[in-house]
Amino acid sequence: MADQVENDTLTVEIAEDGVIVVHGDIDIAGGPVLDEALVRSEQVQPVVLDLSDVYFIDSSGLRSLLNASRRARLADSHVVLRAVGAEVRRLLEITGTSGQFTIDGYRD
Amino acid sequence: MVTVTDTLRALDVHVGPVEMRLPSEPALSRVLRLAASGVAALAHRSVNEIEDIKIAVSEVFIALIEHGDGHQIAMQMSAEPDGFFIVGSTLVAFFDVSHPDLQLCRTVLADVCVEHSIEVNGGYTEIRALVRRDEIA
Repeated sequence: MADQVENDTLTVEIAEDGVIVVHGDIDIAGGPVLDEALVRSEQVQPVVLDLSDVYFIDSSGLRSLLNASRRARLADSHVVLRAVGAEVRRLLEITGTSGQFTIDGYRD
Repeated sequence: MVTVTDTLRALDVHVGPVEMRLPSEPALSRVLRLAASGVAALAHRSVNEIEDIKIAVSEVFIALIEHGDGHQIAMQMSAEPDGFFIVGSTLVAFFDVSHPDLQLCRTVLADVCVEHSIEVNGGYTEIRALVRRDEIA
């Protein structure tokens, strides 16, 4: 792995190919860690997040993803969410924000 | 008429109220979810209900941290036959209930809860949420 940011709640690895691999809860504590990783890696477009190891997300975590999506759109790009679990999928559906992202598969 | 559902619900274990006082510290959101999951599991709530409870308790905590003044946050949880009650409160000089950042939080609460409310009174902001019960088959 090329780079990593973390706190007690969330670990975010930025792989050599630019894919952002997220481990843990994307909540009010984990959101800032994800923000930092996203800002570090946004020179690679599209932004691709592997969420296969995310089992909880709340509205503050979703805001981090939506902010990344807005920045990507300004750069005429998009954010790809890979291996989306049921928890993330549900929050996207509740908030009607699925269309802000490109979904690249769901976690089994 | 007493239905099978009523009978099963009457057998539910009531747990709580469980009260916690937490610093306005984001890292404690996970601690709160763990406690809420424990209370809900003791009350024999389903996996789906526990997932909703975890989301609701996080959303209440987020709102009080992000829109509060950094004072201690009181959280109360109670598993009752009608649902899982969550009450969070903190001392706030001004709580903007129409703040745009709060809307996403309220959208989530509106979906996972039967009802929720935010009341600002006497310098305190109190958020109440009631997470629905799964239908008993």
